[in-house]
Amino acid sequence: MKELEAKILQADTLEALEKVRVELFGKKGVLAVEFAKMKDVPGPEKKAFAEGLNTTKTFLQESFDARYETLKSEAIHAALKSEAIDVSLYGEFAQKGALHPVMQTMDKIIDYFVALNFAVQSGPMVEDDFHNFEALNLPKHHPARDMQDTFYFKDGGLLRTHTSPVQIRTMMQTKPPIRMIAPGTVFRRDYDITHTPMFHQVEGLVVDAKGKVSFANLKSILTDFLQYMFGEVEVRFRPSFFPFTEPSAEVDISCIFCQGEGCRVCSHTGWLEVLGCGIVDPNVFKAVGYEEVSGYAFGLGVERFAMLMHKIPDLRSLFEGDIRLLEQFR
Amino acid sequence: MIVTRSWLNEFVDLRSVSNEKLYETFNAIGLEVDSLKQTVIPPKVVIGKILTCEKHPDADKLNVCTIDVGEGIRQIVCGAANVVDAQYVAVATIGAELPGGLVIKPAKLRGVESEGMVCSASELGLPQMGEGIMILDESIGTLKVGEELGSFATVADTIIELELTANRGDCLSIYGVARDLSVALELDMKPFEYKKKEKMQLGIAREAEIHTQGEMDADLHFKLATLEHLSNSFLLQLRLAIVEIKTEDKLANILAYATHTTGVVLRAYNSRVFRNTDNKISVRPVAKTKGIIEITGNNEVFSVAGVYQQKETIASDETKELLLEASYIHPDVLVDAVAGTSLKTDELYYKTSRGSNPDLVFGLSFLASLMNTLTDIACYEGSLTVEVARENDTVVVSTKEISAIIGMDIEIGKIVTILQKLGFGISAMGHDVVAARIPLFRHDIKHIQDIAEEIVRIIGINNITAKPLVFAEQPRLNDTTQWYQAKKEFKNRAVGVSFYENVSYVFTPKALVEKYHFTVVKEELDLINPIAEELNTLRSTILINLLTAVKRNVSYTKKSIPLFEMGAVFGSKREQKEVMAFVFSGQIEAESVKNAGKPKMIDFASFVQKVSAVIGVFELVPCTYDNGLIHPYQSANIVVNNVVCGFVSKLHPSVQEFFDIPVTYIAEVDFEAFLPKHINAKPISNFQGVYKDLSVVIDKDLGYFEVAKVLNRLVLPMLKECYPIDIYEDEKLGQKKSLTIRCFIQSMDKTLEEGDIESVMSAIMSALEKECNAELR
Repeated sequence: MKELEAKILQADTLEALEKVRVELFGKKGVLAVEFAKMKDVPGPEKKAFAEGLNTTKTFLQESFDARYETLKSEAIHAALKSEAIDVSLYGEFAQKGALHPVMQTMDKIIDYFVALNFAVQSGPMVEDDFHNFEALNLPKHHPARDMQDTFYFKDGGLLRTHTSPVQIRTMMQTKPPIRMIAPGTVFRRDYDITHTPMFHQVEGLVVDAKGKVSFANLKSILTDFLQYMFGEVEVRFRPSFFPFTEPSAEVDISCIFCQGEGCRVCSHTGWLEVLGCGIVDPNVFKAVGYEEVSGYAFGLGVERFAMLMHKIPDLRSLFEGDIRLLEQFR
Repeated sequence: MIVTRSWLNEFVDLRSVSNEKLYETFNAIGLEVDSLKQTVIPPKVVIGKILTCEKHPDADKLNVCTIDVGEGIRQIVCGAANVVDAQYVAVATIGAELPGGLVIKPAKLRGVESEGMVCSASELGLPQMGEGIMILDESIGTLKVGEELGSFATVADTIIELELTANRGDCLSIYGVARDLSVALELDMKPFEYKKKEKMQLGIAREAEIHTQGEMDADLHFKLATLEHLSNSFLLQLRLAIVEIKTEDKLANILAYATHTTGVVLRAYNSRVFRNTDNKISVRPVAKTKGIIEITGNNEVFSVAGVYQQKETIASDETKELLLEASYIHPDVLVDAVAGTSLKTDELYYKTSRGSNPDLVFGLSFLASLMNTLTDIACYEGSLTVEVARENDTVVVSTKEISAIIGMDIEIGKIVTILQKLGFGISAMGHDVVAARIPLFRHDIKHIQDIAEEIVRIIGINNITAKPLVFAEQPRLNDTTQWYQAKKEFKNRAVGVSFYENVSYVFTPKALVEKYHFTVVKEELDLINPIAEELNTLRSTILINLLTAVKRNVSYTKKSIPLFEMGAVFGSKREQKEVMAFVFSGQIEAESVKNAGKPKMIDFASFVQKVSAVIGVFELVPCTYDNGLIHPYQSANIVVNNVVCGFVSKLHPSVQEFFDIPVTYIAEVDFEAFLPKHINAKPISNFQGVYKDLSVVIDKDLGYFEVAKVLNRLVLPMLKECYPIDIYEDEKLGQKKSLTIRCFIQSMDKTLEEGDIESVMSAIMSALEKECNAELR
């Protein structure tokens, strides 16, 4: 029996083991021969003989099964191993492009306000004097018009200098209450390290009955918004002037580069200016025929947000389709 | 607007206010601080008194001075020519370290011992003020020999540059800024003391008269004075240098200083020009049109109030008798009037157009007082005046309204205190309601919200408690919102198939738009003032901008350049629409072990597949676009639901060469056509279907889209789908080609039988035979 077991254990491939199986368990195999001897065994010994033989058979069968399992698993392993590749060669393989950081930032801003139940509104880029200036309390020759250098067309049209005309259009088309943002492309005739002739703004406007919308509300939403965009920053409001809001404020966040310590980016003030806002000027409501209402408005430059959030040093590079910049946003 | 601490201090006592507090307060009240610089005069720079001054024996340009520096008398060699006129000077004594790092040591200059240095302004880090050394005088304070120069607050001053908003003309003066500051800091303004010498007793009427013509919009005050010995003090020169004002002469310096201090617009005429044939000074202000007040004399225009003054009439240092003018005109009236003329404006117009100080008496008094200290001036008693009868506007202010705008309860007492300090006249009107009379210098204030702004400024926005707005629920998911969401989805898909998002200007070079036959904005509708030639018109295609970006990336040694952009383009009438443009240039994928570092170049099929992954299913038919970027034999219209919505093409080789870029494919489609549409599901069959291939021989020139048209017209319910899988051409076929089509046949309601399949295939074949002249292969 040891001899037979050794045969099983010595089989080193599944094929060799199959040969052993035939030799041992086949119709003419060793066990079959032994069982055939049964008929010659005398009656009283028959039982013991049969038991002995069965024990042997069971023992060999178990040995065989174990050996089979071992060889089978070795064979599978060998087959798998033959398919081995160096996976580390393929890590850089992803064929993914990237969204533009300015557009991504704009989408992030839109997401915030849509979640707060603001409607998104849009308007044309080519505007007229009324929607871009006049209705926004910027009459002709107003000194505040100096603040914006405008692209004009030969027929008197102009490229909107801010997204604010969308406020005017929306108010003229719908009745209050209004709760909207206007993301969009705007234009100013300026071209240097910190100015491009085209950039993006998101404008917000909320209008409700007179006495309902206050500066305190504006503070609340903008503080929360800026912390959503920039994380745990301090938010500071400074009185300022915009012709279309009164009172007006500029909003600063504590510098995200130096945590307010003072650095080159914040001109050593510890603060970064990021937003303009205010309570809508009554003249604006008058221009669109609204009476007995109150409202707030705010506006921000998307490029500035993107540059601050992602530490992009050069504004102009954002408009050059530079893959060296874009591929970092994959 | 540049102010200094010591200058402000003349009107409001800032001794107890730190620089940090000043910085904070200015920002808090809306006078944004651009910069705040503390001038530091190095130690050991002291007041010296020149005792003797003689020429250096061996150097023409040097002087040898003996100077009392308090702790002793020093011999100092000085190279500045003006040292001969000086009595008091700033001396850097031995051991002083000047801003440039120069440490003063005993030295020998051409053989003469020198123990210190007489300093110029720039050597001490002060703004440059004329040639040579600083000649000090008591305008900076009482001079004591040996005293540290740095101990003079007027010299070691704090210089603050404020960024004023366009509405705050009232802060274009030291006085105006001091007034705003005094309210925020709860300090009182110092009363202005008019110092005058009792010399002249003659009344102005003996020499001068004024006659107006027309309706006067301007206030005018004239004073007649004679003067001699005109000088400028050290402090006046230093401060003008700090605020970067440069003028023609000493008199102009004095006027500029008085205007910068008081905010009152001041001019000086040579009175001679007004003298008429009776030798009387006759001033005749003439209202030319609304807002244009000409100051004339002898029938000549000498100036226009708030706008300019004729050069020949301007008094100079040599003028013995001068007519001083203070004027005020409401900026709104002035700006509208000037815009309607071609009048040239001078540097004072910046102030008058934003609102100068209407307190003319203050302005002239300050000027006279200043001149008293600097000249031998004699003013005639009284003045010639024109005063416009103006009514101050009044705003009704209620705590209820103010509190509602701010969102926080503000007591009436607080409101009244703030407004009074800001110069408003207050009269009670009832419980918690007052009438506020707006001071003339605050022309920017017109209604209750302007008043609210004043209150907000002074109490500080950061002291307002934030409160979320309660707003009625209402669905606001409008079309534009959904449009943005769809756009975002398209962009994400493009990114998924390797495109980078580009953002470029909606401007483009007109020359290229014309060169490649794209739509051009009509000449009469085009830009007047483009910023550069390569951005001189509105784009009607994004592709030119994208190709420019490709070129740039090629120069950055990028080998695979997939870009897309979604944005506005404009038609010939400037009508705006949204398109999506794609370019793919160079290698189809990154170099890697997969392609042994040699990826294939982008090809038509791969490009179309990528574009389709973004915009969805479309058909391609021969191209009908005729712009210059298109390759005539590798281009197609993109058709969705039988509507052409864009094109796809290989870039024309000549354009590729022009831009100097590798093989490039382009596509541009109308975004609107691809917006998500409503879809109804069709029933799905559970019976087994079969694929059958059909090979036919057709004319070589016959495009597959012609075959597809025939197939699409067939009404065969069991024919679920068919598509081309192979094209074969060889010489034996001559002017023919072989086309293999794979068909999927399936029934909705039964298991297919051989006869079913055969009938479908023969229907297809006979249609193709008939309409495409096809033969079975």
